[in-house]
Amino acid sequence: MSEIGQAAILLAALLIGLLLMGIQLWLLTVALELYLGGNGGQVWQLALVSGVIFLGGWAMLRLLRRRPRVRDTSTG
Amino acid sequence: MRMPGRIPVESLGTAHFPYHWDADALVARRQLLQFAVYTSGALFSVTALLAVLGLTRRPPSSPSRAIVSAKALAPGHAYYFNYPGPEDQAMLLHLPTGEFVAYSQKCTHLSCAVYYQPERARLYCPCHDGVFSPATGGPIAGPPDRPLPRINLQVRDGTIYATGVEA
Repeated sequence: MSEIGQAAILLAALLIGLLLMGIQLWLLTVALELYLGGNGGQVWQLALVSGVIFLGGWAMLRLLRRRPRVRDTSTG
Repeated sequence: MRMPGRIPVESLGTAHFPYHWDADALVARRQLLQFAVYTSGALFSVTALLAVLGLTRRPPSSPSRAIVSAKALAPGHAYYFNYPGPEDQAMLLHLPTGEFVAYSQKCTHLSCAVYYQPERARLYCPCHDGVFSPATGGPIAGPPDRPLPRINLQVRDGTIYATGVEA
């Protein structure tokens, strides 16, 4: 894969990751509202979704975690 | 013609710093992605902590307790008391219709204290302009979308007792 293609994939992963992190933040506010409202028994569903998002991000990081490419200058 | 013992000028940069300049941006983006995943893990941890606290917290017991004499509270007035715990604020309303009702004073939006405004026939939360119905405890206006927890009442020998909190 070319460096440009690799950079595009990494940028797309980064944008999707930040979007999902925003969703996680929203889930946390909903969980806090439920907990303070005395309905803490329903928060586990939100934690489950948040956990799935985290595992997805972690898997994506593992998939993309490679050493940066070095341009081979020996072949010209 | 190259001079013996000298390094070619074109290979000086790559010899001492063998990264192409595009790779520098890649490393920065990777680090940002890594930071985002760590933050995601922190958000998940807090949500999971709330879930565990929510599952393990037991509802407080609701013993029967005398509140006030029924004659002491005129129609259109409220009596504020603590129930079921000493720090749980609640209110007893004597509606203009003659009926007694009691609710938790904790707003279901963000737990501010709710007050009875008989002149406007409403229960009002001043924090975010939440309005509840005095007759049912249900939300009428503002951000709250759940009714106030209702406290069950009994009248025995002219005294009003709180006997429990509806979920």
